[in-house]
Amino acid sequence: MKNMAQLIKTILRYNKLTIASIIFVAIVVVAVFLLITYLFRSSSLHVEKDDKINNTAVTVESMRQIGEWEFLIISNEELVDTTRKRLFSDDELVRIYYGVLRLGIDMRKMTDKSIVMKGDSVIITLPEITLLDDNFIDEARTKSFYETGNWDGKAHEALYNKAKRLMKQRCLTEENKHKARENAIDQVEKIVMSLGAKNVRVK
Amino acid sequence: MKSKLTKVFIGCVVVLLLFFIVVQIVPQKTSSSDSQSEVVDTSGVLIRQVQKCSRLYTAEVEVHKIITHDDQLKLTGSIMSKPLGINIPLGERKIAIPIDATLKAYIDFSDFSEKNVERYGDRIEVFLPEPKIVITQSKIHNEEIKRHVPLFRSNFSDEELTHYEALGRRDIIDKIPKLGILPMAQEGAANVLIPMLKQLGYKEENITITFRKNFTIGDVQRMLVNGE
Repeated sequence: MKNMAQLIKTILRYNKLTIASIIFVAIVVVAVFLLITYLFRSSSLHVEKDDKINNTAVTVESMRQIGEWEFLIISNEELVDTTRKRLFSDDELVRIYYGVLRLGIDMRKMTDKSIVMKGDSVIITLPEITLLDDNFIDEARTKSFYETGNWDGKAHEALYNKAKRLMKQRCLTEENKHKARENAIDQVEKIVMSLGAKNVRVK
Repeated sequence: MKSKLTKVFIGCVVVLLLFFIVVQIVPQKTSSSDSQSEVVDTSGVLIRQVQKCSRLYTAEVEVHKIITHDDQLKLTGSIMSKPLGINIPLGERKIAIPIDATLKAYIDFSDFSEKNVERYGDRIEVFLPEPKIVITQSKIHNEEIKRHVPLFRSNFSDEELTHYEALGRRDIIDKIPKLGILPMAQEGAANVLIPMLKQLGYKEENITITFRKNFTIGDVQRMLVNGE
């Protein structure tokens, strides 16, 4: 026990300077910590970044009259993903695209023979039901769902094309075209009757 | 030697402590509340909604816009009640996103009935409902996007890109009233309906197509269907 006390005394004497330094540095650290805490408590600092876009012009590329009669709307939300293989982990990009496919008739395809009067009867022959506009995805509404790694414009373009292909594949079915045609016949018949025709046949 | 090692050790501890304090006290904050509170519903992988309708599209406008964004990191706030705003050097990112969009105006014939038609002998007057405007498509020119990202900043994420694109779409919507699509839509409707009425036996001079007159900018914004 005596030996132990002797040993501690020797160590303390030998390391007197070092212990004093440690105490001094500890006091300085605490003082700096308290000072910084005081400064920041009485202040507020944020690293900010602006998420707004600049005010740029919207230019009109073209304006034209059209005659597209729409009879069926198919609204779509498509989750599309792509993966890139890496050595340790794969990169992944998942986006949600929104698109509206519009089925109907292009009135420019109607000819003089499309509406025929026979006595007090009207016979109307409608053109084929088609997809009114092949560009139907509202890409600016796209939502980013998940992303790991860096993806360039080519990858985004490929995803867009994939979403478009999937939407067309799922929506441009014979069943939907049939629904659109049935609705077209009902609607055209109703409108022509409202315009004063007594007997209307739409085919 | 021993004392030197102790000093180095203490120095490291002090540096680490200071770094920890600064990181804890200075929070990262963006000015967009939308991106933080936005919730994406993941339950519906695919949603399809089929709806019967009767809409006659009569006018189409194609527009182009370059969405630009300057992203400068700033240290803002106040120190001892004194306001502070410092641009962090080498912290400015820039991006330009070209976008095309198509807007179409249509007349909704879903509720069209005899109430919309008046006949006086061999004359006919058709009253059409007010046109509506819809964005039928938008296309980002993904491969033409230009960006500048400094060494010390992260690249633009997909979430940021879609956020700027949505803002660009909103800006296009806000500028629709200035595009003059409605007079063209009215004229287009007449150009589709008059030949039909002629084929039904009416003379062109006896046909009148009537619309609601004098649209204001407020009216045009109300007529926009998918302005969400």
